[in-house]
Amino acid sequence: MHHRVKQESAAARVAVVAAGIVSPLGFGLAETLDSLRAARDCVGPVTRFSVAQCRCKTAGQIPDERLLAGGDGERRRRRLHRASHMMIQALGEALAQQPQFQPELMVIGTTSGGMSYGERYYRALTQAADLRRAPMWIANYPSQKPVLDAQEACGLRAPCRIIANACASGANAIGQAFECVRSGRYRQILAGGYDAISEMVFVGFDSLQASTPEKCRPFDRNRTGMVLGEGAAILALENLDSARRRGAAVLAEIVGYGVSTDNFHITQPDPSGIGPRQAMERALRCACLPAEAVDYINAHGTATVFNDAAEGKAIAELFDGVPVSSTKSMMGHSLGAAGAIEAVVCLLALQHQFLPPNINFDTPDPVLNLNIVANSARPAAVSAALSNSFGFGGANASILMRKCET
Amino acid sequence: MSLAIAGMGWITPLGRGVDSVWQQLLEGREGSPATISEKLGPHECIAFRVPETALGNLAHPRLRRASAISRFAAAAALDALNAAGLNVSSQNSNRIGLVFAVSNGGVIYTRRFYGDIVRSGPQAASPLLFPETVYNAPASHLAAMLGVTGATYTLVGDGAVGLAAVKMAEDLVMNETVEQCLVVGTEEIDWLLCDAYRRWRLLCPRPPMEPFGRRPRGMILSEGAGAILLGKDGPIAVERVHPGAHYDRRARAAETLEQILRDLADDRIDFVISSANGTFIDDAECAALRRVLPESAIYTGKPALGESVGAGGLWQVILGAQALRRSELPPVLHARSDVPLRLSCARSVLADARRAIVLNCGVNQQVAGLRLARR
Repeated sequence: MHHRVKQESAAARVAVVAAGIVSPLGFGLAETLDSLRAARDCVGPVTRFSVAQCRCKTAGQIPDERLLAGGDGERRRRRLHRASHMMIQALGEALAQQPQFQPELMVIGTTSGGMSYGERYYRALTQAADLRRAPMWIANYPSQKPVLDAQEACGLRAPCRIIANACASGANAIGQAFECVRSGRYRQILAGGYDAISEMVFVGFDSLQASTPEKCRPFDRNRTGMVLGEGAAILALENLDSARRRGAAVLAEIVGYGVSTDNFHITQPDPSGIGPRQAMERALRCACLPAEAVDYINAHGTATVFNDAAEGKAIAELFDGVPVSSTKSMMGHSLGAAGAIEAVVCLLALQHQFLPPNINFDTPDPVLNLNIVANSARPAAVSAALSNSFGFGGANASILMRKCET
Repeated sequence: MSLAIAGMGWITPLGRGVDSVWQQLLEGREGSPATISEKLGPHECIAFRVPETALGNLAHPRLRRASAISRFAAAAALDALNAAGLNVSSQNSNRIGLVFAVSNGGVIYTRRFYGDIVRSGPQAASPLLFPETVYNAPASHLAAMLGVTGATYTLVGDGAVGLAAVKMAEDLVMNETVEQCLVVGTEEIDWLLCDAYRRWRLLCPRPPMEPFGRRPRGMILSEGAGAILLGKDGPIAVERVHPGAHYDRRARAAETLEQILRDLADDRIDFVISSANGTFIDDAECAALRRVLPESAIYTGKPALGESVGAGGLWQVILGAQALRRSELPPVLHARSDVPLRLSCARSVLADARRAIVLNCGVNQQVAGLRLARR
């Protein structure tokens, strides 16, 4: 049980006042919205490294020609890792909406930082190649670096907290920021997540046979696994009263956060679904909302047999026919960024009153009693949306967002 | 309301146990330098390793294949819980938070896993190793060992990450998410890590590691873990945790540290646990300390224990808490006599010491600090 001594009514309300995103779906909120509405499949052949010997050969990737375009003519910026460019893009978009936003803290989730620079260093070392750039690779490898780079690019100097809770990292970051603002101890916090695709992580999921050589089909009876993705997303959270006082646009309200740890296995969820169920229950309790109030669930939905079974069971037990989709089907699983990207997807669903689709869905799984938003987006009245993220190590997190009443 | 340290656990190159390690520090002992040979070149690095005997009979199914980083963490955490007399049960398993601090993570398995890929191709990648490469593997193992079902977080960063983890734990307790929080910093050493720091020109080629030297000679890497249980009761209060900051260029580290010290400095700060480790950060800390707290006694444990990066912040907190509890500071080893600070170069009694600052400057831009007080 998510223990709270404090009366729920005494807690501060938490507004989302800005957001920024870059993912395989596009650069920025507008392109992301277009891709979601068009049910665009943004997964393609992996181009960043050889996957000839892997089972899986596809991923959702962000094209370098656009991502790195801003660095022309500036030597220091050209050295930055791709993950830094993603963070700069996402943070820049969010701050453009709220130029006066002065965060007291920045909480960011990631799983692998600048991993591909670590790979380059190791390959150069083992293959007796040129190591003159090794100090630059090493200096840009740590997980905090893309966050600090983005702050520097955007003129911020906020303390950073980098959460690495595997695939729940982004949701945990937003949830932690939510709790801090809700407590009344913080007024403005930036939260989100990032991850850039890397060979090591790609091969890792391939070695576990968690990734699929086929299409990613979350919740489909014939699902065969996940595909990886990459990206970054940022939400600017603010005490609602403060946001209203200064006349800031309120895009949505975060009303609940649930976190749980299931201790079943380091890579597999408890098949009973207890971990996801506890996270969702705690998010609902935190929000003082019944399950019936939820109009849409953006599922973790990796399309692995075990994840979808456990999550699907938990959703079916808690909710009665609420529309569910996994947008990972369109862009892949961006690991530490996923929770943040999917929170932005929920934000767009709330703002534009539609249900984002779960593409590649052909055959319902008879074991899962779910109302899947199959293959195309649908207009719908969405007042509250739940975003699930679950990770290795039994890290489970659910974020509950609500359309903000004026 | 401030939080307090209810229990501590410590795994270091001087062995296991807060009192045992503390006693050795008071006696002026230091870790035994171990030579770590680079596997792909002629270089050798010196590091302080945790003695094999330190982990004793630590046994749990989740630790069977776990890397040293997880074992160190588990041992320190269990000792901290034991010292606090806290048992995790179904009654409190969701009210105890876990916050881990790591910097380089499970580097041994990460190097082995990726090494197999580079050498033999993706089909050689081990599905058993991959999960242990994930940053939150040590936290996951400990949560499973203890049966913790609530908030479990792993933070990553440079040497300042340990104090950032204490700040996050403070937030979790003050936000009423949990009632108590176990904060664990942990790190392991591998030759690859030594090579990386050497190429970054941060490693000391041979002992000793000289703090606040005229020219930074570099640090000696070490490994181990530190754990503190934070709650509402305990003899040492964590009076204030600074939210942290960062510097964009090394030359600006001193001004960032100075600001943190000014934010934390009370009327009377009896001593400062510095993070001086023989690198550029010593100059920055020295400059900031001279400006803000010229009269305070300064201690750094890194010449004796090495730089354990992700574990380092927790080690500093334990040092600060022990010094307040015992009213004594160990000698700072290998320091020149003309360092312009009140260095505790000999074992020294701290008469009526009430408050201390723990200051940490990481080598990769992050800076943090907190203030401890004897209750």
